[in-house]
Amino acid sequence: MNRALLAHTWRSQRLKLVVVCVGLAIWSALLPIVYGTFGQTFRSIIDSGLIPKQLMQFGGGDIFSLSGALALGAIHPISLILNSIFAAGFATSAVAGERQRGTLEVLLARPLSRQTVYVTLLVAVFGFVGIAVAASIVGATVGAAIAGVAGELVPARLPLFWLNAVLLFGAIGSVGLAASVTFDRLTPAIGLTVGFTVVSYFLEVLGSLWPDAQGLQRYSVFHYFDAKQVLEGNVEAGNLAILSAVGVAAIAWALAVFPRRDLAAPS
Amino acid sequence: MSAIATAGLTKVYGRSRLPIRPPGHGASIVVRALEDLSIEVTEGEIFGFLGPNGAGKSTAIRLLLGFLHPTSGSATVLGLDAVRDSVEIRRRIGYLPGGIALYDSLTGERLLDYLVALTGRPPSRRAELCERLELPPETLRRLVRDYSRGMRQKIGIVQALQHDPELAILDEPTEGLDPLMQRAFYGILEDLRSAGRTIFFSSHVLSEVERVCDRVAIVRRGRLVAVEDVEALLARRKRNVEMRLTGPAPDLTGVAGVSGLIVTDGRLTCQLAGDMQEFLAAIAGAPIADLTIEPAHLEEAFLELYRDAEEVPA
Repeated sequence: MNRALLAHTWRSQRLKLVVVCVGLAIWSALLPIVYGTFGQTFRSIIDSGLIPKQLMQFGGGDIFSLSGALALGAIHPISLILNSIFAAGFATSAVAGERQRGTLEVLLARPLSRQTVYVTLLVAVFGFVGIAVAASIVGATVGAAIAGVAGELVPARLPLFWLNAVLLFGAIGSVGLAASVTFDRLTPAIGLTVGFTVVSYFLEVLGSLWPDAQGLQRYSVFHYFDAKQVLEGNVEAGNLAILSAVGVAAIAWALAVFPRRDLAAPS
Repeated sequence: MSAIATAGLTKVYGRSRLPIRPPGHGASIVVRALEDLSIEVTEGEIFGFLGPNGAGKSTAIRLLLGFLHPTSGSATVLGLDAVRDSVEIRRRIGYLPGGIALYDSLTGERLLDYLVALTGRPPSRRAELCERLELPPETLRRLVRDYSRGMRQKIGIVQALQHDPELAILDEPTEGLDPLMQRAFYGILEDLRSAGRTIFFSSHVLSEVERVCDRVAIVRRGRLVAVEDVEALLARRKRNVEMRLTGPAPDLTGVAGVSGLIVTDGRLTCQLAGDMQEFLAAIAGAPIADLTIEPAHLEEAFLELYRDAEEVPA
């Protein structure tokens, strides 16, 4: 890992990171407030049969418990988009974007191996993802306190929630960075990463809404982040292992391809 | 010791070294970007690497830096293997890419600080280079995105040389510089040579190679056409002869060294190579009103070499 590259990466992304963290914190604070304010009302509506129960179990979350509300917030498209700004956006542009702009030339003219560049950027991806997920947890905690439901939150379970979420978005980031070191242009790297994320998300949401499609959920990385279960103390080590395996596979690909590939003059 | 030595260095695009082809890297047309390049650059010299666009100059440089992997052949830079010791090589050299792209969101000063931090060596020459290239502190405090093309090129030169590298590899270094800055840059190169540094200088501007280089390699379509001392190349060049006549033209047919003879009404032009004695004897007594003999520029010697190479099947 190279400290100068890491510091430069941090400085260039810090404003974006602040905006993402504030957005995630606000979004995560809203969900306990919605649960605390409207949770019982929604339960009455569901119990009346007016709304199909499946619609209230979007992505494994609900608003009938604090853990359900936080899980709903974590799998919601708003959370996905905000987290993907670093997991997918930064990761895919980290190398392919520099290559397309021509600045990778200047970077690689320094005494840095490509492995060092890759590992430094991987650390940055996981760092940004970790901070963004931590901001969500801080927001959720503040929101729970505001809504007067903080007692339902078990602080000892929050580190595992953080770890599971970081492994999920870290896996997406690893795929994004692997795509970034593989392609010369940004477009195919973004296409591959966004495709992977969107298809994965679609399979998870489809499975959660349509019982016949539940079997497809196992092919989604989002399926292995069961936020509600984690917050209720039911952690499945297999979920963490599968997300880690996806990340490790992407990292192995990148470390095999990037040092060996030719970097022709930018066109 | 050689600063750079290549032996049969070859790069062919369109063949994958990997058992698995990455997505988007499908089978493509085979392009022989560089073939069998064998050159030796001596320490302390300014070595010109000449050729038109697409001749293989940048490919050769990228092979020396480890950006590309050779299809065959080998290269050493400062005695180190260009593939195996690529990181150590880049610690000891300075590199200016052709058409350099910089980080637009940084100021010139921050950019130079960042790049020198990555290099891990103090910027011992920065102040002097900035002064000679007219990059005052107030300019360096501006964002790179506000720089003109010439200023970007100056920053590119400073980042390549600020840490006083043993070897500088410069790809089209005067691109975008005005004539005054070009002159300042040539002065910098001469000082570096005096300090024992080696410069590998790629260009298609022949006049600057003629001006600053000790030796020159000429490449064409990926192949080495010639490696020559610039002095020898210039000595071999033809002279352009033009005479205005007040009477019949002297008979220069068959005179040694004369070529391209054109006689029009009252005017004779030709090229003259080698010894002039026979030519001077042939024109003695001719009704010459005016005579001009001027040495051809390197460009013509270069084109001559190219023409010769064209006649040899590649």
